[in-house]
Amino acid sequence: MKKNKIFRWSLILLLPTLITVVGCQKFLDRKPLTATLDDLKQGTLEAQSFGLYNTLRYAGFSTLPWIDFHSIRDDDAQKGSSTTDGAEINTEYETFQYSKDDWAPNTYWNDHYTMINLANKELYYADSLKVTDAASLKNVGEARFFRAYSFFELVKNYGEVPLINFYFTNATDGIKPKSPVDSIYAQIDRDLAVASAYLPVNWSVGGTNIYPGRVTRGAANALWAQSFLFRQKWDSVMKYCNLVIASGQYSLATTFPLIWQDGLNGVGKNGPESIFEMNTNVGQNGTNNNGVQWATSQNVRQGGATNVWNLGWGWNTPTANLESAWPADDPRKTQTILYSGQFDGGQAAGGYGATLPAYNPGPGLDQPFWNKKVYSDPQMRAFTGQILGSGGADWVNHRIIRYADILLMLAEAANEKGDGATAATNLELIRNRASGNKGASRTIVVPIAFTGQAQMRTAIKNERRWEFAMEGYRFYDLVRWGDANAALGGLGYTDRCKYYPIPQKAIDLSGGVLKQNPLW
Amino acid sequence: MKLTTALLLFTCFQVSAKAFSQTRITLKLQSTELKKALSIIERKSNYRFLYNDETVKAGTKVDVDANNTPVTDILDKLFANRLLSYKILENNLVVITGKDVEVTETKVSGKITSVQGEVLQGVSVKVKGSTLGAQTDLNGNFSLTVPDNAVLIISYVGYVTQEVSVSGRNSLNISLVASTQKMDEVVVIGYGVANKRDLTGSIVKVLGKDIADKPNTNPIASLQGKVAGLSVVNNGTPGAAPDIRIRGTVSIGQVHPLYVVDGIFNDNIDYLNPNDIESIEVLKDPSSLAIFGVKGATGVIAITTKRAKAGQVVVNFNTNFGFKKLTDKIKLVDANGFNTLFAEENANNSVSTPDYSKLTANTDWINAVTRTGKFNNNNLSIQGSTEKNKFALGLGYIYDEGIVKHQKLDKMQLSFSDEFKLNKALKIGVNLNSSRQHNPYDATAVLDNARKVMPQVSAGTKTFRVANPYGGDSINSNIYSGLATFLQSAGVVNPLLSVENTWDRNINIEYRNVGSIYAELNFLKYFTFRTTMYADISSVNNRTYNPLYYAYDPISGNPYLYGEKTQVSETDDSYRKFQQDHILTFRKSFGDHNITATAGVTTYYFGHFGRTGVAKPYSAGNALPIPDDKRFWYMTTQFNDPNQTIASSSQSEYSTASVLGRVLYNYKGKYYFNASLRDDATSQIPTKNRHQQFWALGGAWELSKESFMQNVSQINYLKLKGSIGVLGNQSASYLDGTPINYPFYPNLNTGISAVFGTNTYAAAQPSWQPNPDLKWETVHAQEIGIEMNAFRNRLHFEFNYFNKTTKDLMTLVDRSVQGLPNLLENGGSIRNWGEEFSATWTQSINHDFSINIGGNITFLQNKVISLSPDIPGGFLSRGFQNNGSAESRTLPGQPIGSYYGYVVEGLYQSYADILKSPSAAAIGAYRPGDFKFKDVNGDGKIDASDRTIIGNPTPKFSYGINVNATYKNWSLGVDVGGVYGNQIFRTWGSLESPFQRVNYSAEKLARWHGAGTSNWVPIISQGDRFNYNGSTYNMEDGSYFRLRNVQLGYALPQSLLSKAKIKGLRLYLNMQNAKTWKHNLGYTAEYGGDATAFGYDNAGGAIPVVTTAGLNLTF
Repeated sequence: MKKNKIFRWSLILLLPTLITVVGCQKFLDRKPLTATLDDLKQGTLEAQSFGLYNTLRYAGFSTLPWIDFHSIRDDDAQKGSSTTDGAEINTEYETFQYSKDDWAPNTYWNDHYTMINLANKELYYADSLKVTDAASLKNVGEARFFRAYSFFELVKNYGEVPLINFYFTNATDGIKPKSPVDSIYAQIDRDLAVASAYLPVNWSVGGTNIYPGRVTRGAANALWAQSFLFRQKWDSVMKYCNLVIASGQYSLATTFPLIWQDGLNGVGKNGPESIFEMNTNVGQNGTNNNGVQWATSQNVRQGGATNVWNLGWGWNTPTANLESAWPADDPRKTQTILYSGQFDGGQAAGGYGATLPAYNPGPGLDQPFWNKKVYSDPQMRAFTGQILGSGGADWVNHRIIRYADILLMLAEAANEKGDGATAATNLELIRNRASGNKGASRTIVVPIAFTGQAQMRTAIKNERRWEFAMEGYRFYDLVRWGDANAALGGLGYTDRCKYYPIPQKAIDLSGGVLKQNPLW
Repeated sequence: MKLTTALLLFTCFQVSAKAFSQTRITLKLQSTELKKALSIIERKSNYRFLYNDETVKAGTKVDVDANNTPVTDILDKLFANRLLSYKILENNLVVITGKDVEVTETKVSGKITSVQGEVLQGVSVKVKGSTLGAQTDLNGNFSLTVPDNAVLIISYVGYVTQEVSVSGRNSLNISLVASTQKMDEVVVIGYGVANKRDLTGSIVKVLGKDIADKPNTNPIASLQGKVAGLSVVNNGTPGAAPDIRIRGTVSIGQVHPLYVVDGIFNDNIDYLNPNDIESIEVLKDPSSLAIFGVKGATGVIAITTKRAKAGQVVVNFNTNFGFKKLTDKIKLVDANGFNTLFAEENANNSVSTPDYSKLTANTDWINAVTRTGKFNNNNLSIQGSTEKNKFALGLGYIYDEGIVKHQKLDKMQLSFSDEFKLNKALKIGVNLNSSRQHNPYDATAVLDNARKVMPQVSAGTKTFRVANPYGGDSINSNIYSGLATFLQSAGVVNPLLSVENTWDRNINIEYRNVGSIYAELNFLKYFTFRTTMYADISSVNNRTYNPLYYAYDPISGNPYLYGEKTQVSETDDSYRKFQQDHILTFRKSFGDHNITATAGVTTYYFGHFGRTGVAKPYSAGNALPIPDDKRFWYMTTQFNDPNQTIASSSQSEYSTASVLGRVLYNYKGKYYFNASLRDDATSQIPTKNRHQQFWALGGAWELSKESFMQNVSQINYLKLKGSIGVLGNQSASYLDGTPINYPFYPNLNTGISAVFGTNTYAAAQPSWQPNPDLKWETVHAQEIGIEMNAFRNRLHFEFNYFNKTTKDLMTLVDRSVQGLPNLLENGGSIRNWGEEFSATWTQSINHDFSINIGGNITFLQNKVISLSPDIPGGFLSRGFQNNGSAESRTLPGQPIGSYYGYVVEGLYQSYADILKSPSAAAIGAYRPGDFKFKDVNGDGKIDASDRTIIGNPTPKFSYGINVNATYKNWSLGVDVGGVYGNQIFRTWGSLESPFQRVNYSAEKLARWHGAGTSNWVPIISQGDRFNYNGSTYNMEDGSYFRLRNVQLGYALPQSLLSKAKIKGLRLYLNMQNAKTWKHNLGYTAEYGGDATAFGYDNAGGAIPVVTTAGLNLTF
């Protein structure tokens, strides 16, 4: 009787134990309570493509490191800001004492390989899924485009770099020696051939562009043309420029300031001249914030968080050299340079009707000149709440490739091929627009007739300088023209500065497989 | 899982085993000692023998040749010609006597209780001279048939063993006295309790009464300096958990110990009322920790809450009240000092000093933001018990103010426990701890902000007539000063401006309910089966309202709206933790063999569900702000613009299922052996390595029971012990210690999106690479030690040497240098080793005066053996302040979290000095008055490669001394303690961002201002970035010695109290942190942190002096 009772109690107590044990496997299988890549299934490929656009907003593509490499290094732009802010950047990029281990150059390298690996991964997924549907092929085109874009930036900045064109997960599989420059360009060609074939001409549905800023066939062809320009393959430059022109998708903005216009509801973004543009957005009062510090890092800086003119960090400002060299009759001068202590010129000059405080380092503005191409609209500052205490302009898009470059590349290639007429025609399109479309009889930014290849070459070089000032072209143009020693020698540039040293961290990690660039 | 079935079957077999007995045996012995022959017969039969050594003399040899012979026949033959006779008593006890001695059989029964009247179950009652014995039942009763002159040995864990002569009595009521000897303590060991004597490891017990009357909201804070091997780095914020590490820093991830409160696993004990704690045990060694498996590696702090004691109803009321005061204030310059140094700095840099003459105050900003805080703790507990039911109820209220204005914690706590005996074999019970607390306003940055503001800024208010920011009318408003933005802007604020306007706009309430129900069944005499279900449900609701308020510009004297927009933000976190334990324990003595075996299964579930939201008012037109009224501090109130109301959530869960087993064995109470094993399966690890096993073995030898020690009269107790095992650390975290909830399933990075025009599309990007080979890191631990009592048990001494090697560190490797996502992988090893000494001396000088002195010291060394080979650069780096120039590096061959930077040899005194020294141009521009860094690698130039290890945050040793003296009704307790040999990384006054203008540290008055003026404090100049590199200038000696606690108590004499029917009344005065002797410039020498970055002094962390008076009343 007693034993039975004990046995009964034992069973009752053991019951929960048994239930626990039976349910054990299920109890231990717990996936995250948020999505993982596997959960996205059909959306994976497109979601991964979208991830590439996210990476395009990383620092290495769109803020300080990009600005350091692409703009501050040249003779027309300087670090700006206050003297003490980012002093190391002065040394590294203004005086060409390149650092092998610093945040900006490391980030530049890392972010580009991040983009490449993400593209590799997406392409690996696409291969394993054996996709053939039109939508997926467009995604493949996007991955190819971004891989080509990243390698193009790397080859311009470092020369030989490891050619990582495969997906890998184990770090040691990604340790590779540098590949010759030709192999990198061959990869760019292969990628852009696919991108050009798969990407749509535009993303219009019923006449409305549903994805402004998403890469297109035109973007692939324009990037391809740029890559041929650096290889001086003039026929190919002309071929792809002509393809972009013939697509009929693009045209010059009617006035120069319109390209940079900022305003409510995305006004000024993704204009007719935009071929490849990093898109960003900040909603009302900072909601839906997908901003990037592209323009924040460059806008007018006034020390003191609550100051009205604390619009940004004030990097990448025009040099006195640029200001003085620029012909005064060129309206682009005041449309590109924002002057401290002066009226911003209003809408016609790319301003918003405000007068800046005087140049007076410390209590006033730290720089006499600012980059007007990222000057933010006060209405947007109010709308987004990025005013006073949190000065910024995170909503401004980075115009990466615009139609003007197609015309000037075509002009340059045509001139090199001896087709002076085509060169002059395209140059004139740019100059006429710069003058405010005043026509052939104008007295400012006058037409330049072709008189000889060397004359036209100089004219085109000058035109690129004025048209693309502060946009990050000039250093590379000077290098590929062979003019870098002349223009930058005084700042400390020597031949070895053509290529930046590979980050020491990457070399250390490779265990010696990756070799430093010559002379560094 | 199969084990359970086995347990079940085992149980069934035991049921049938009981009826089995035998009286015939087969035995062949030649020339065997008679004693040995008897013991063999005992083993083969159910007879037990009782004799004394004079009767059965040593050296008596016998031969036996019996084949299936009744035992009585064998005995007859054995004793036939030896002048011995025997008598078999009712319970098969064979009493051997000389011939003609009459044995009177008597049946003795009795009840055994504690002196306090508590019924003691399972007490061993043995007949002296035999192995026969009995145990007391649930009611403390036993019954034995013995000779009328027998002596009974009564022993029970935690009590002094007694010998009682039966002397013909039939009924014995015996009360046992609790042992005061450390080795006889009953300690919590995880899934059970044991006598410390039976263990082979190191467990230190601290009684709850030592904690209850200390002015700390978090009970663990009171353990500082009390336990060898336990590092407690306190925090001045009310209620905040200290940084606790047991025997070193074992991981680069999770290093805090596991808390086990009445069996439930937890990562903190913030909900516990210090007054509800019966005892705290600190478990440190492998043989104690292996039973906790994957959570054992960082050590365990086991807490037992109060239970009702047997006997009458006890009501206790305990209250104390006191004050907290800031001490060791950091030294800053006053207005004059600022003027001098600022002018000099500007002259140094050839810039003109801006006109700030309109700022005329001379404020001590630290005084302005601090105050005397109040501390008040009240507790009421009621306990009662009957034969069937034990009941305890506790109620507590704590009010704890910080020394920073408006910082306060208040907390209500309720505890309840009840245990009910259903019948003789089965009891069920319930425990519940509930708390509600208002968490303090987050004032962590206030002290740092205060020291930054220049003294010329007024701390007072001015009255202005301003537009009511909430409506059209004008109001008179008392407004705090803003800062002169041309001098102080980014990163510097008037702390009073935000504290005074926002402290009461934050509501942060935490509710927590921790409880368990259990059932315990005793069966088959030796078995106990206990099933416990635990739950810990908590929620934290934190609502913050941003009000509209003014500041005035100290230059123009005009008010301006400082808080410009209203906003309500709310976070709501709920935590659900469930645990089940099903534990079977077997406890039996077989002759000289004593065994306690435990086996069980346990599961654990952890879930966190967090929501956060922000509501903003409409912004168009004449929209109203969200009112300054608690009623509207929610997400949806009609004042919020739904288009600007954003909510998001984060949630995660994990679970573990485990099987465990443990054997505690000893032979004759002389040789001890412990073994434990645990298998943990976890949801967080991929299937391949889902199960991991952890184990430990321990042995001990109580030398003092050996005959050769009997003559060493000074030594009363001596035990050698050692253990070895493998423990787990369930640790997956980012380098800063933030946990990674799903190590095997990388989340998609949040906020990843493509933007096209004004539309946003979610993108997918895993945050790291999944690693199928992932497993938990393990700690391979060893310990050897000595426990000793000497000089009539006045001295108790313990020594331990420990060695712990952590392997397979779970590391999140940053692979961005290859453009790859991060990878969680196992790699690397850390070793912690050291020695612990502790001793106490207890002496009663006379009837009125007794004294107890205790001390402990722990020597600890920590070394990183290796790190994952995939880590770029081969080290882990943590950088803070000014572009990470305050850096900790974790690198092989060095202690974890070592400080890294330049070595300062002095200052450049002149340009000539610069010219004759190696060039430091690679670091930046420099001039006389700047640091002269050492060319560590001797390559003739000074650059980044000359940085080196400049400090170690881990003390070489830490120590504590406690003295308790009682004289008549007075008692005095003094605790002191400290650490020695570590460095502190001071970042304030030297490495804060050079973009912000901050007030000067007083140390700067001794700055370099011309050749020969200083060789240590550099030239005053924020422009000299050269000096903004972490260096030995930032290193400070972290050694300190503190008068931690002094308490004077007086117990009112019983004669006085009994008239008022009061059982006890004690009054006391307590002073905590009365004085600290230290060598650094900060508020304190104690700075915690996480595994790879700790010991940073960021101008916060003030630890106050707390003076309290209290009374403890029992009736």
